[in-house]
Amino acid sequence: MRKLLLLLISTSLIMPLASSAQPGKKSLKQAPKRTASAGAGNSRESQLKFQLSNALRQAQSGQYEAAANSLFSLARRPELASERAQIKYILGTMLMELKLYQTAAFQFVDVIRMNHPKYSKQAIEKLSIVADSLGDDTILNYAISRVDVTDIPPNQKDMINFRLGEIKLRNREYAKAQDLFNRVGPGSSYYFQALFNKGLAEMEANQPAIAVGTYNKMLDARRKAPVTDPNRVEAQLALARALYQKQDWEAAIEAYSQVPRDTVMWHDAVFEQSWAMLRAARFRSALSNFQTLHSAYYEDFYMPESLLLRSIVYLYICKYDEMEKVLGLFEKTYGPVRTKIGDFLKSSGEPTMYYNEVEKAYSMKNSDKTAALRLPYIVLKNVLDQGDVKRSIHYLEKLAQEKARVESNYAFKASSLGQYSLKIIANRSKNTKLAIGEMVKAHLQNMRVELRDLYEQAGFIRYEMINGRKESIKKKIAGKDIGDGQIDEKIDRQFYIQNGYQYYPFQGEYWLDEVGNYHYLGKQSCE
Amino acid sequence: MLRNVFKAGIVIICAFLLHNTAFAADVVELPQEELATESVLPVFDKSVSVKNRNIVTAKRWDADIFYSYAMTEPIANVSKLGVAFYYNFNEDHALGFLYAKNFAGLSSYANQLNSQYNLDFSRAPQPLASYMLDYNIKAFYGKMSLTKSLVLNTLLYGSASAGMIQYEHKTYPAIALGLGQKFFFNRNWALRFDLRLYANQAPIPFLGNNQLKPTTQPPPTFDQFQERVTYTTTLDAGLSYLF
Repeated sequence: MRKLLLLLISTSLIMPLASSAQPGKKSLKQAPKRTASAGAGNSRESQLKFQLSNALRQAQSGQYEAAANSLFSLARRPELASERAQIKYILGTMLMELKLYQTAAFQFVDVIRMNHPKYSKQAIEKLSIVADSLGDDTILNYAISRVDVTDIPPNQKDMINFRLGEIKLRNREYAKAQDLFNRVGPGSSYYFQALFNKGLAEMEANQPAIAVGTYNKMLDARRKAPVTDPNRVEAQLALARALYQKQDWEAAIEAYSQVPRDTVMWHDAVFEQSWAMLRAARFRSALSNFQTLHSAYYEDFYMPESLLLRSIVYLYICKYDEMEKVLGLFEKTYGPVRTKIGDFLKSSGEPTMYYNEVEKAYSMKNSDKTAALRLPYIVLKNVLDQGDVKRSIHYLEKLAQEKARVESNYAFKASSLGQYSLKIIANRSKNTKLAIGEMVKAHLQNMRVELRDLYEQAGFIRYEMINGRKESIKKKIAGKDIGDGQIDEKIDRQFYIQNGYQYYPFQGEYWLDEVGNYHYLGKQSCE
Repeated sequence: MLRNVFKAGIVIICAFLLHNTAFAADVVELPQEELATESVLPVFDKSVSVKNRNIVTAKRWDADIFYSYAMTEPIANVSKLGVAFYYNFNEDHALGFLYAKNFAGLSSYANQLNSQYNLDFSRAPQPLASYMLDYNIKAFYGKMSLTKSLVLNTLLYGSASAGMIQYEHKTYPAIALGLGQKFFFNRNWALRFDLRLYANQAPIPFLGNNQLKPTTQPPPTFDQFQERVTYTTTLDAGLSYLF
């Protein structure tokens, strides 16, 4: 960075001198017409040039704050309009050094808009780096969409390819996305994310077999990483999903069970594994998982589908009483949720209201604070866990950090650049909050639609339950029913103890170390 | 004798709970791949050890009846019977009052001294009762599996008490520190065990000049007995009912 700055500054010092050495286009006849004010203008211009070279020297010597302040005021001077692109570009790099990425991004965007033959390309490259660290999709897309990959230095190519791949993936151009992700080299810090997204593109393109290969490759590359390494776990979960899509149920169940329990992905793995178990007709195993998923530990989790899935499993094994309990629980839990979402969506279309609601839930999620919520917490927690909302909130946090950085330096805060930074941050924060509000609204609308569909399904399931019950009563009258029993009736407890396990009945309370270790022991009641 | 029986009982219970059979493992009936292979805990936003507890004590009263055995009492009768009432402020703190009435008579050791050396310790002042305010800090709620169909919830707590020990002639201030454990065999009833170390001013039952011999007349007055801080370890066992 320092070397780059030196080069940049030395060229910028030479350029004005070189340009002043050029023969002027004005004719000599015009010279006498010069007035005193023009002379004064010249002296002001040279004074400004001196200020500029002084600012560049400050930048060179590592006085970034002073240099940034000087460059900021110089960038506004009409006398230096021809150097504005260069000034703003250097100002952006100074701000990057000060870790004021959002303010820096604005300088680079200005430079890009100027279409300067030299600095615009460099600004795009810098903007990509800044946007990548901020995690702001808007700026990132703006920068990446203007990138000419051939102009990008080799050390930035992986990042650009990765981000371009992301854009293609979002636009459902899967083949192009795969190609771009393929270009990210194994040495890059984006390599694993690129592999992951490549697999995602393959799955979206309905190529699960290829995706399985991609995720196995990712897993092999992370073999030496700790068991709970996020990349490794993500790869494991993605592999299980690819196997599920491939309809290899047993392999998918096995892959899901490899997701470590002490990671946040485990909860999703258990739920998805239950689906695989149902598809593999392993009903008892699925019910064992549901005991975990429907424990008090998951009371904050939005999982309406899992309740219906559980009732379907009970239907398969003719446990109609259990089925009724689960359907009752579904209606009791998600009926009010559905109503509240509907009321909330009707009450206002203002994005601010949606953001405020989700912000309250966010503070509850990360601390013991309680807040009066209009929507159920399980709904808001689910919305907060959505990728787009999560990313935007992360970006908001970055903005808050930048604001804190400006405000902690009183001298800088008082300067015009400091005030400008705060204005930019405030504006970006406001717009991001509005964007989050819109996202939340969209997610709530999706949830409302999903719940409506699930309620419809619950109705069908209830119909099947009544039908099954009727048949069951007929069999009971005919003396053909199977009584309730447990698979461990004839097994001595010692049998398990000797194998190094504890073994005791579930009596209504849930322990953290038991979550994930429940085993359904009931027998099926169908004839 | 009773002490030895108690010790033996403790050893047997511990052995029963902690023994680990060392013969070869058999095939387990449940699907092998679904049995726990890791002892790590799942991750939640707010991790708590237990949810939907069977035994909820917060804002509830409990009443206890107990038998108390003074393990280090040489002269007075080692047995007491008591009652206690506690109010549980929350799942961590409880405050109660306990009253224990001493059995009349002397310890077996005192009777032995009487038969061997003709020392009548009934001439010394005897403790009559204890009145204590008892604060409990409930440190660990847990459970214990004993059979395939029986699970006991357990509650381990520390106790700190302050109160009075009443003797025949005088009442002395006392403090006690202890450790206790409850074993709940349903949502209301529990077995309660407390081990307490009492510290209180008390008369020394040993008196010179043959004052304790039955033949010495008149018997010594209680104010002739010197006093000192006495430490007594007691073990209480009783039943507790949670209202």
